[in-house]
Formats: sequence, structure tokens, C-alpha cells
Amino acid sequence: MKLTTRITCLGLGLIFQSFCLNAESLKINGFVAQGIVQAKDSNFVNDSGDVSLKLTEVGVNSAYRINPSLRVAGQAVYLDGGNRYPDGFRIDYLFLEWQLLNSANWQIKTQIGRNKNYHWLYSSTRDVPHTRPSIVLPQSLYFDVFRDVAIGVDGLVLMAQTHNNLGEWDINFSYGNSRISEEQKNNLLGSNTTGKLRHDEDTQFSVYWRPKLSNFQLGFSLLDADFSYHQGENDTFFTGDETSQRIMFNLLYQGKSWEIASEVMRERVIVENMLFPGFTSDVTAEGGYLQARYFLSNQLTLLTRLDIYDRDRQDRDGRNIQTLSQGLVPGYFGLMDQATVGVTWKFAKNIQIQAEYHKIKGTGRLAPIFTPNTVLNADKYWDMWAVQLMYWF
Amino acid sequence: MAFFQNSFSIKIHPEWSLFLDHARQHFFRILIISLSCLLSIAFSVDSQVPEVQIVVNPSVESKDLSVAQIRRIFSMRQTTWSNDTKITVYVLSNQHQTHQAFSTKVLGMFPYQLDRIWNKLVYSGLGEEPIKVKSEQEMLERVSQKPGAIGYVMQQVNDNNVKVIKVLEE
Repeated sequence: MKLTTRITCLGLGLIFQSFCLNAESLKINGFVAQGIVQAKDSNFVNDSGDVSLKLTEVGVNSAYRINPSLRVAGQAVYLDGGNRYPDGFRIDYLFLEWQLLNSANWQIKTQIGRNKNYHWLYSSTRDVPHTRPSIVLPQSLYFDVFRDVAIGVDGLVLMAQTHNNLGEWDINFSYGNSRISEEQKNNLLGSNTTGKLRHDEDTQFSVYWRPKLSNFQLGFSLLDADFSYHQGENDTFFTGDETSQRIMFNLLYQGKSWEIASEVMRERVIVENMLFPGFTSDVTAEGGYLQARYFLSNQLTLLTRLDIYDRDRQDRDGRNIQTLSQGLVPGYFGLMDQATVGVTWKFAKNIQIQAEYHKIKGTGRLAPIFTPNTVLNADKYWDMWAVQLMYWF
Repeated sequence: MAFFQNSFSIKIHPEWSLFLDHARQHFFRILIISLSCLLSIAFSVDSQVPEVQIVVNPSVESKDLSVAQIRRIFSMRQTTWSNDTKITVYVLSNQHQTHQAFSTKVLGMFPYQLDRIWNKLVYSGLGEEPIKVKSEQEMLERVSQKPGAIGYVMQQVNDNNVKVIKVLEE
């Protein structure tokens, strides 16, 4: 049994034992979702491009308040997204929370353990189907291939909330790393690698501001993540390093009938020695989306979104990729633009169905990233649809 | 009247003609009286709709709260009163008329915004959501029984076991 699974079993055991002692302090919630999806002419969901049921998300979470300052919270999930991310059970989060300050103007707390990424608009609940605007999130920022790394870190989170005449402020800081599974490594580098990919360090900082009594929210976040690759036997990759530095801005407006959301980012990616000794790559990617949701009624919500991603802002059409690969990798592997329309119908209490269609140009966010699969992704334009039924409690 | 008679060659009975002439002379008076009646009905209906009242357990020391503070409490950002007592928040379901009135008229938020905030708290481990009650009667009972509790109702409060809080406009 893996260490994280053991820790979780122990944690959940303690929580349930405590439940018997003090039922009021324990909360249990969860969700179950099953969908059907097809991404023709790409390997986004599966290699065949056929209709697939690999759209399963199940989760149970629990929180137990030990005393006014200390709290334990955890969530276990089972996910199956096909090629999008490794399938199976995992601990989404499991941490001890300590309220450091709880005054009229300031609330400061820290979380120690496996924490969620609280820095982006949808990052903290990207696996919770009914909290997402769509089944598949905009890939420029919520890059599924990188999901397990971006979901959170094993480490420390510091959160501060305050308010003044300008409005409400949230300030978040996190530091830690995450374990990269064999499947996750294959998604990033390809299946011909035999070495180990490590997520050495991850530092994130974000600030959110909601102007006083308004329906707007503005925010920005910074990310600095370091990875190292350690060559294995008969490996096609070499020992090397990768660094990602990201800056993001976001905006959210929530009106009576409309909700507008947008996030934009610029990400510098530095790769050293991994492809061959002495190899260096330093490119800056840009991406972002603009999303509108219209509330037709309390039950029906329509969605439309445009998402744009360029792997290198100096090479937006990917011409350099084609040139450097001597024509082996088409230029459209340097970009991925996605237009989405969708509908959500909440037809009963805590049950809803979501359906959406994506038209996509480019394959820049398809696995594996370092060794593009030009056979399965031979088309510049491809599309995808998905329908998912979800229940939560 | 001549216009109608000339254009359409309609012969109107002299008594009707006299009545219509009379009516035209008093048209604006009738219009004003009718509008006044409608407005008075509208206002009387409005005044009959009780306002949403914020109720707290008598153990809560505050007598009034600002809108921003009530927003923070129901967004679960402020979790303790000034005397360090834990705040227990009770809410009605999203579909309940009182919850909708409370959300839009008191907080200046839409019910779905509150839902999003609470979902994020629950499913990312950040915090707890408010306790849902089924009726205003249950709301009053539970607020009266739990020290530090807060809730809201639209009915007249004649219960000494809860305290009505004055909402301070910003």
C-alpha cells in the first residue's frame, strides 16, 4: 500500500472514530459523475478517437473540527479521463488546518499536508463536476496533461483574508512539491523514457480583490515550479532540468443573468539538457480564455467560451517547430485554440446534466508534450463533444 | 366625435354621444384617478410584504450589522463574533422565496453566487457551508437554541428567544 493511501486510511479512520464522539463537528460530502465523450481525430481522450465512457469522477470528502483553531480535511477521488490524466484512486487533499488569527478584520490560517491549488479561478475544484463551468476546462490554463502537478502540492499553504474600504482581499501563498507518477511522466515526456521525473519545488502566490459590495472580482497569481529529470537505463532522455514561471490575471463578473470569466497567462518555460547534453530551450507561452454563461432560468445555463494558447509568443504559428524538426512536427503543435458551447440542466436537487461541443485548432496541449504524437494527431482541426450526468451530496 | 362620424359614417345614438363627450372632457381626470388607484394598490401590496429580518441568538452582543459584515458572515469569511463566540449560520434552500429575497435585497448578491462560494469551501476543504433548514419556523427554533447563531426570516418576529438585528446601509 502506498504511503499516501496509508496516511489517508489512518486519517479517515481517525475522523470516523471522532465522528462517534462528536457527530456535529464532522461533515461528509461527495459527488458521482459519469459521462460519455468523443474527441475525433486526436488522442485527447483515447488513441482510437471513438466514443468513450472514460469520463468518470467520484469523490468523498470529510472535515473534522478538533477545536476552534484546528481542523482536519480530506478528499479521496476516483478519476478516469482516458489519456487526459492517470486514472485510479488518489488523495485529492488531506491536511491539518491551523487558524493563526481570527479577528474582526483579519483571518489568517495555514494548512499543512496535501493542499489544493487555491490560486486560479477553478483550480481548487477542477475535479468536482458540478462546480465547473464545463466538463473540459480551457486547456490553455487548465492543461489536463499537467493536471496532477497543477492540482496542489504536498507542503504548506498560508491564507489571509481581510477587508477595508476598498473591498475584500484574499492573499494566498503555497510552497511544496508533488509526486509525478509513471503515467503522468509518460503523458509529459512519452512512453520511451525510463528515468524519473521529479517535481522539486513549487511556489505560488495569488491575490484576489472584490470591490466593496460589487459583483466583480479581480485577481493575479504567480507560479515558479522546478522539475528535474534523472536518466534511466537505455533512456531516450538525458538528466536535465525544467523550470516554469507563470503570471496570470483573472476577472470574474457575476450578474443576474450573466457571468463573465476570463483568465490570461504568460508562462516562461526553460528546459536544460533533457533532450541532449547542452540542450537549452527558453520560450514564453501565452494563453487565456473569455467565457460567458447565461442563466436562462434557475435550471438552465448556457455557456460559450473562446480559449487561445500559443506555446511560443515569438512563434505563434509554430513555424519554428516545423523547421527545427525538419518537417516532422507540423506547426500546429505550437498552438491550440478552442471554441466551446455548452448547456447545463439542473433538473433535480443536486443532480444535473452537462453537454458541450468544442471546435479546436491545433494540438499544442495534447500528450505527450515533449515528443508529439504526429500519427494520432494528424489533423490541425479537430472537435470534441461530451455529456456528463452528475450528482452531489 | 365628428372625426369618427365623418370618417366611418357611424351614426351614434345622441345619448351615447353625450356620454362620450362627457367622458372625453373628464378623460385626464379619470386617467389620473385610475393611475392613483393603481399606484395606491401597488404600494399597499408592497407595504404588506414584510421585509427580510436578520435574527440572531440573544447571546450575540451586536445590535446592528453593516451589509458588508452580513455578506462576510454568510460567505463564511467571518466565523466568530467580536467576543470570540463561534458564528453558526443557518440558511433556507435556494428555491425558498425568503432566501432569494435575503440574498438579493439584503446582501446584494444572487443565490447562485452564494452557492458557488459554499461549494468551493466544501469541495476544496477550505471551510464549512451554512446549515440548511427547511422552513422559517425551523430557522427561528434553531437560531434560538444555538448560541452565536444567525439566520433570517420574512415573517414578523414575535419570539423573545431570538433578537432582530438592525441592518446598517453602507
